Amino acid sequence: MIRMFHVYKNYPNKIQALRDINIHIKKGEFVFLVGPTGAGKSTFLKLIYRGIVPTKGQVIVDGINIARLKSGYIPYLRRNIGIVFQDFKLLYNRTVYENVSFGLKAIGATNFEIRQQVNKVLNLVGLEHKRKIKPHLLSGGEQQKLCIARAIANEPLILLTDEPTGNLDPYTSWEIMKLLFHINIRGTTIIMASHDKLMIDKAKKRVVRLERGRIIEDTQRGTY
Amino acid sequence: MIFENMGFYFREALLSFRRSTLMSMATILSITTILIIVGVFLLISINSSLFLKNIESQLEIIVYLEDNISQAEINNLKSNIASIDGIKEVKFVSKEEAYQRLLKDLGEQKDILSAIEKNPLPASLEIQVKDPKMIEQIANRIAEFKKVEEVEYGREIAEKLLNFTYVFRRAGMLVLALLVFASILIISNIIKITVYARRNEIEIMSLSGATSWFIKWPFIIEGFLQGFISSLFSIIILYYFYIFAVDKVHQAIPFLPLVVDNMDLLPIGIAIVLLGSLVGILGSMFSVGKYLNV
Ligand SMILES: Nc1ncnc2c1ncn2[C@@H]1O[C@H](COP(=O)(O)OP(=O)(O)O)[C@@H](O)[C@H]1O
Ligand SMILES: [Mg+2]
Repeated sequence: MIRMFHVYKNYPNKIQALRDINIHIKKGEFVFLVGPTGAGKSTFLKLIYRGIVPTKGQVIVDGINIARLKSGYIPYLRRNIGIVFQDFKLLYNRTVYENVSFGLKAIGATNFEIRQQVNKVLNLVGLEHKRKIKPHLLSGGEQQKLCIARAIANEPLILLTDEPTGNLDPYTSWEIMKLLFHINIRGTTIIMASHDKLMIDKAKKRVVRLERGRIIEDTQRGTY
Repeated sequence: MIFENMGFYFREALLSFRRSTLMSMATILSITTILIIVGVFLLISINSSLFLKNIESQLEIIVYLEDNISQAEINNLKSNIASIDGIKEVKFVSKEEAYQRLLKDLGEQKDILSAIEKNPLPASLEIQVKDPKMIEQIANRIAEFKKVEEVEYGREIAEKLLNFTYVFRRAGMLVLALLVFASILIISNIIKITVYARRNEIEIMSLSGATSWFIKWPFIIEGFLQGFISSLFSIIILYYFYIFAVDKVHQAIPFLPLVVDNMDLLPIGIAIVLLGSLVGILGSMFSVGKYLNV
């Protein structure tokens, strides 16, 4: 599903965010991307949805070389990828329902499809009763669930989540984890950037460790 | 594909108008103000242009005829002159008419003419030309006709006047160009602010996999509507302001030529609508483009 060959990413300020990354993530896998702040986790995720292009090397997503992808095709790549951002990126002037429907509208879904999908994912994350309120009235965990609902509304092949449990208490974090496992079991490939030791040790999933832009460890059923 | 979705884009644009009424109103108010400034300048410039034309049209060539000229020769000369390119009007003034005019001009002092027995004034042709710039050339040609005693057109005044109107028009055009340029910058910056306010939406749409045109269209329509509505407001305000101003000016200077025909004012209206709408469209298109490259 995702392959990287000798990928380097340098930012304009000469920071080498990623160096010689080689990885293969299969369809349906759940992968923890761990490492300290600044290790390159967010950069790794951005490469997959082509928020950025690699400075060197190849990134192949679902058979598509993203560096060579013409800009007109980027939207179609992104329709297969759901993203939960580190900073949420919710629209605070819209309701919970509208936050989910917004992305579906943006890809031209019909009203019927939108209604059906939004209801389905809000049910899944347990926010159906809060559909009419604005996100700033939600707790941190609920906002995170809303982000997940929005990311999976389009039933993407890949779900990227950037530190989704970063600011949550252990109980809520585990709720979020269970939600992600549930989505993973239904076939969605998930990559989760995190440094949440508790969750990672408990989950017993593949762990890819980044440090200063390099992969220094890649273990099945790993720990933090 | 684009036109299939037009209804959707329009609804989205109107929705966003409703969602941020205050912002939209502020935007329209600002653009209206800029367009009014441009409009006032345009009104001043078409009126100055009319004024200059009026002065220029008072330039004329006077052809004094020899005393022994016959009626047939006069007619012949008249038609020869009339066939020259760029002649607007040829008017014959007989010796008698010239005398009467002089009498009238002298008024109280007409007694001084009683000392002269015979009418000393020559018959003449008064010629108006279409383009004052041609006046010298035409005068030189007429001087070569037979039975023409002398040709007069106030060379120095004509040259000075034409020089002045030339510089004045050029300066006006330069100021107009600068003003239009500045207004384009200001309006597109105002539009940019409205797009900036919604950069998060643009980013999320783009990351959700919306195509760039799908994202752009509602903004383009919104930009167009903001520009268009602003231009209508400014035209209405300018129109009533102008009628009022013309009235006041005419009270003060009754015979000052002013543009009052609606058909002559129409181009200004069209220019304002085009300026508002086009800048609205292009401004939003470029601004959205900036936030699209996530
Ligand atoms: N847009 C950017 N421009 C310049 N440097 C950046 C940018 N994004 C990230 N970096 C730098 O790249 C490195 C990796 O950042 P990031 O991928 O966000 O790490 P992580 O998500 O693991 O904390 C950091 O040193 C960060 O400062
Ligand atoms: Mg990060």
